[in-house]
Amino acid sequence: MPCMCFVVPRDVLTRLAQDRELSAELRKGMFATAQISHEIRELRSQAARLTSVAMAHAGALVELAPAPAVTVYDCKHTQTTPGTPVPNPGSSSDPTAKRTFNETTSVAQFYKDVFNRNSIDNHGMTMMSSIHYGSKFNNALWNGSQMIYGDGDGSIFVDFTNGNDVIGHELTHGVTQHSLQLNYSDEAGGLNESISDCFGSMFRQWEAKQDVKTADWLIGHDIMGPTAKARGFICLRDMADPAAKHCLAPQPTQYSQITPGMDPHYSSGPPNLAFYTACKALGGKSWEKIGQVWYQSLTAFGPTPDMTMKPFADRTRQVAQTLYSTTPAVAAAVDQGWKQVGL
Amino acid sequence: MDRLQIERIGGLAGFGGPHLKSRGELALSDLSPADRQAVEDLFSDPRKAVPAHPGEADAFRYRITRQTAAGAQTIEVPGNAVPAALRDSVRDVLE
Repeated sequence: MPCMCFVVPRDVLTRLAQDRELSAELRKGMFATAQISHEIRELRSQAARLTSVAMAHAGALVELAPAPAVTVYDCKHTQTTPGTPVPNPGSSSDPTAKRTFNETTSVAQFYKDVFNRNSIDNHGMTMMSSIHYGSKFNNALWNGSQMIYGDGDGSIFVDFTNGNDVIGHELTHGVTQHSLQLNYSDEAGGLNESISDCFGSMFRQWEAKQDVKTADWLIGHDIMGPTAKARGFICLRDMADPAAKHCLAPQPTQYSQITPGMDPHYSSGPPNLAFYTACKALGGKSWEKIGQVWYQSLTAFGPTPDMTMKPFADRTRQVAQTLYSTTPAVAAAVDQGWKQVGL
Repeated sequence: MDRLQIERIGGLAGFGGPHLKSRGELALSDLSPADRQAVEDLFSDPRKAVPAHPGEADAFRYRITRQTAAGAQTIEVPGNAVPAALRDSVRDVLE
C-alpha cells in the first residue's frame, strides 16, 4: 500500500508557491503552509531558547517551596483536565486518589533523599495529578505540566495508578523536561523513555528496599489486567530481558536494531538493558551509584534535546569516572552495560 | 474511497507493537461537516498538528489512512489534533 509523505521542506514549498504552472489556489495554499510551518518552527525554537536561558539562571531562581505541594484532581471520567480538586487526597475514600497522593509524595521524597532534588523542576514545583481521566482510558501520561492517569479498561489494563513505577515514570518525564529536555522522537525519544523507565524502576526498588538481585526490573507489572495476564503477559517491559515473551511490548536489545522513527517505547530497550546490566554488574542498590551516574548525566550538563544514545553512553562513562574516581568498578560496570547493547 | 482507517499508537504501553493494537474504521460521510473539514485540514498539512503541550510524553498519536485516486494516504498526528469521533472509533485489543 503506497504511503504519501507530507514532510515537505520549506524551500520546496516556497518554490511551488511561486510556480506559475500551478493553479492560483494551490500556490496560495503552498504559501500559507510555508509561512505557518516557518512560524511554528520559530515558536518551538524560541520556546527551547527561553527554557535554556531560564535553566542557565536557575541558581538565581527563588524556590517555590522547600518541598513540593502534591495535588490531586478528579476528571470524573471526562477528558477535561485538570478536573475538580480532591480535598485532602491523602485521606480520601477513593483509593485511586489516596494512592496517587501517597505515591506522588513518595516520588518527591525519593528525588529529595536520593538525588537532593526539590521536585520536578528542582525549585519546588507543585506535583499535580488528574485521575479517572476518560472512560476506560488505557494510558498514563505527562502532559508537559502535570500527570494524567486512566482507570484502564479492566481487561487489558487496570487502574494505572496501581503501578508505583508508572507514577515514577511519568514524574520523571517532567524531570527530563526540566533538565536534558530530550525530544520525543528518534534516539532522543528512546533515551527519554528509557530514563523514565530507569528512574521509575529505581523508585519501585527504593520503596521496597530491594537490591539489584531481588528487584523484578519489570515495568507495568501492577497495571496488567486479567486478559493480558491470561495470555501470559506479566508486564509492559522487562529491563532485564527486553525481548522476553512475557512482555506486552517486547523491545530490541541491541542499539543496531533501532530504526529511524521507531516508537520511543521500543527504542528504549537497549538503554534500559544497559542500565540493568550496569546495576547488576556492580551489585548493591541501583540508586546508590549507577543511579547517581544516570542522574548526573541527565541533570548536570544543560539541555541537549537531540542527544543520541552514543553521546549519552559516553557521558555516563565520563560521569562514572569523575564521581567515583576511587571506585573504578563503577565505570567498569557502566562500560559493561553499554557494551552489552553494542555501544 | 469514503473509509477512514484509524490506529492509535504510542502511550505508556506502546500501542502499535506486536501484541497491543488499537484500531477503528469509519466513513467520512458519517462525520459532521466540522469533523470532515478537520480531517481534510489534517491531511492537507499534518505538520500543523503539534502536541498540545511542549514536553508532553506518553500521549497517544493517531495514524489515519484514507484512500484516494492516487492511492492510500497515511498521516500520523498527535491525539489532541484528532476529532473525538475518530478518537472514539478505536478499540483496544490484544493480538
